[in-house]
Amino acid sequence: MSEHFPALVIIVPLISAFLISATGWLNKRLCFPIAVFSLTVSLFASIGVLMMVLENGTVQYRLGGWAPPWGIEYRIDHLNSLVLVVISAVAVLNIVTTHKPVQQDFSGKEGPFYALYVLFVTGLSGIVVTGDAFNLYVLLEIASLTGYALIGLGKDRAALSSLNYLIMGTIGASFYLLGIGYIYLVTGSLNIADIANLLPDIYDSGVVLFAFIFCMIGLFIKMAFFPLHAWLPNAYSYAQSSAVSLIAPLTTKVMIYVMIRVTLYLFTPQFSFVFLNISKPMVWLSVLAIVMGSLFALSQKSLKKMLTYIIVAEVGYMVGGLWLGNRQGITGSILHIVNDAAMTLCLFLAAGNILYMLKSDSFEDMKGLFVKMPFTMAAFTAGALSIIGVPPFCGFFSKWYLISGGIAAGEFGFVGALIFSSLVNVVLFFRVIEIGYYEPFTNHPNAHQKDEETLFNEAPRDMLVPLLMAAILLLALGIFTGHIVTAIIQFAIPTGII
Amino acid sequence: MRILGLVIVILCGSILIYHTSDFPDWGHPASPASTHVSPYYIEKALDDTAVPNIVTAVLADYRGYDTMFETTVIFCAGIACFFLLRITRRMEPSVTLYRHLPTGITLRIEKGGKEPDDSNIFKRIDTQWVPYDLIINTTCRMVIPFIQLFALYVISHGHHSPGGGFQGGVILGASVILFAISTDLRTAISRMSERLGAFLSATGVFIYAGAGALCLVLGANFLDYSALAPVLNVNSVMARSHGILIVEIGVGLAVMAVMIWIYYNLSSAGRHDEGL
Repeated sequence: MSEHFPALVIIVPLISAFLISATGWLNKRLCFPIAVFSLTVSLFASIGVLMMVLENGTVQYRLGGWAPPWGIEYRIDHLNSLVLVVISAVAVLNIVTTHKPVQQDFSGKEGPFYALYVLFVTGLSGIVVTGDAFNLYVLLEIASLTGYALIGLGKDRAALSSLNYLIMGTIGASFYLLGIGYIYLVTGSLNIADIANLLPDIYDSGVVLFAFIFCMIGLFIKMAFFPLHAWLPNAYSYAQSSAVSLIAPLTTKVMIYVMIRVTLYLFTPQFSFVFLNISKPMVWLSVLAIVMGSLFALSQKSLKKMLTYIIVAEVGYMVGGLWLGNRQGITGSILHIVNDAAMTLCLFLAAGNILYMLKSDSFEDMKGLFVKMPFTMAAFTAGALSIIGVPPFCGFFSKWYLISGGIAAGEFGFVGALIFSSLVNVVLFFRVIEIGYYEPFTNHPNAHQKDEETLFNEAPRDMLVPLLMAAILLLALGIFTGHIVTAIIQFAIPTGII
Repeated sequence: MRILGLVIVILCGSILIYHTSDFPDWGHPASPASTHVSPYYIEKALDDTAVPNIVTAVLADYRGYDTMFETTVIFCAGIACFFLLRITRRMEPSVTLYRHLPTGITLRIEKGGKEPDDSNIFKRIDTQWVPYDLIINTTCRMVIPFIQLFALYVISHGHHSPGGGFQGGVILGASVILFAISTDLRTAISRMSERLGAFLSATGVFIYAGAGALCLVLGANFLDYSALAPVLNVNSVMARSHGILIVEIGVGLAVMAVMIWIYYNLSSAGRHDEGL
């Protein structure tokens, strides 16, 4: 059975999505347990795959039993098995936390909501496990389509911002598809490993150059890399928070993974770093992304909007880390995929809990929040400290790798941008914490009583426990960083890179 | 801003066109696309799968995993339309119209008025668009069975000629949509309900993924139809051929149901009462 684990990661949620959409018409209350069950099975299967990879190296799985260049294969190495576990874990934690808000936000449509939720996770896991460049595109479509739908059913201008996202996302996906088409034109293959073997003879072809440019532009749009980020802030802040806390931690991170896969394994470091020689401008673009993302975040007046601009800055971290082109930078980039997914999940879940209880997320209404919701705010503070980069939280360690990579590559602009962004994050989060901790809340009806009992208004227990687990995860990831790097990430980077 | 956009588009377009000079010649037998992977399909497809149509063999077997997700994309589109558009809250219209069938007289009933009993004499019609065209009605009623028959042929004959689940499913779906246009939305929904459409679309994709999962249960890899040989009582090559037919039927069902489902939601803006 264990040899089928790679297939189970995808198939169990896929089939359960069809079951959920059918049972949604019969009994709405069954949808949630089926979704949780299938995602949990998927999580265990992905942990199983990670164990297999740690034991025997790269795992291959032939779909339909056909050999690779002719059929489609899963090719799972240290890089994608790590990202796979991140996706499944975030999906499970989030679905348990958002059970109550979903009933409130999507009442009557739980069936299609959970079907779309599970399909979204299937799409992202499928992108990660596949070893076929075109198959990656097909699953990208699934993840995007379900994402547009989940974002579109929100408040005020959600439908409009989802339409913007749809147009930008489709342009991005088309660029990627065009790039893959160009590669097929000159190699005749769609298998990533096969293409990497065929490409070295034709590095100087203009078609390969354009294929690379198209793939990169497409992925930059999809990951919201500044200045192609315009769709992200509105799409994520108008959507319901129960949908965003799934989409925000995963979409951009999986796109970063695809960029790493394409630059290092499809085009090979030899082509991307040595032959093209564009590392410097790319790093400077990411410096711009980090600085602008941080500055935009400073000017926001509501919590969710602020978090979305922080994501834009974090994308800059990871793109820059990859294009530093050395081992530390890429380690930092891969580690930051894991850490940023956990941090974003923690912060968005906390924001979701605040919104659920307060019905508002503007800074004005957050006065006295540490008294009202102490546990949620504790988790929020953990997330904030991690984003800022305070040890022993995980954010510190990936930032450390990124900064030492920047110093080793002599990119002091990048190092400066990272430090600048950390300082801005200090300002951002301490402003929130200050409002929540020190400012009296005069507009609260019970404020004059000074009675702890009536003021205490924490989120329900089943929303709180997974949130606290996510917060503890931030600490655990930080403490075990050394193990993650030596056991997994160092094998995820091609041996040619020093 | 508009001019800047135009300049960028023209610039990118001209660079793209300029670079097509590096492309291998169109359809050249020595180009990589026709020398690397394709020869294997052309030489082996019939021996491997017993399907004379190479396109079908590649689509549903060699790269069947892609096609499963293409079908899932269509399913996603259907469920996304339902999720975003459907309004479950019932809204009473201010005016309803009924046609007295024997005389052709139209009754206009204001809100609160007594509605005629459900019978064969009175028929509710749309308030905005009230065609009653004998020619259109009769022609569509005569043509629809043949359209559906042709759709079934396209699905089942995908092994030998151009066709398959996607094309056949679209034709099947179009026949129901034609029925909805020629009569009205309520009549179409009374023939094929929304719930049935939702079930069929899930069932269609489930047949595809389920056939693949059955192979897994029988001990082979996912979607390796040759494992179905003992179940279908044929040899492993014919099992692949039959496996392709099974998934094509699933695709056909899913595509048909999703098309109809999307039409119901789009044409009535999610209300499912009046529409095209």
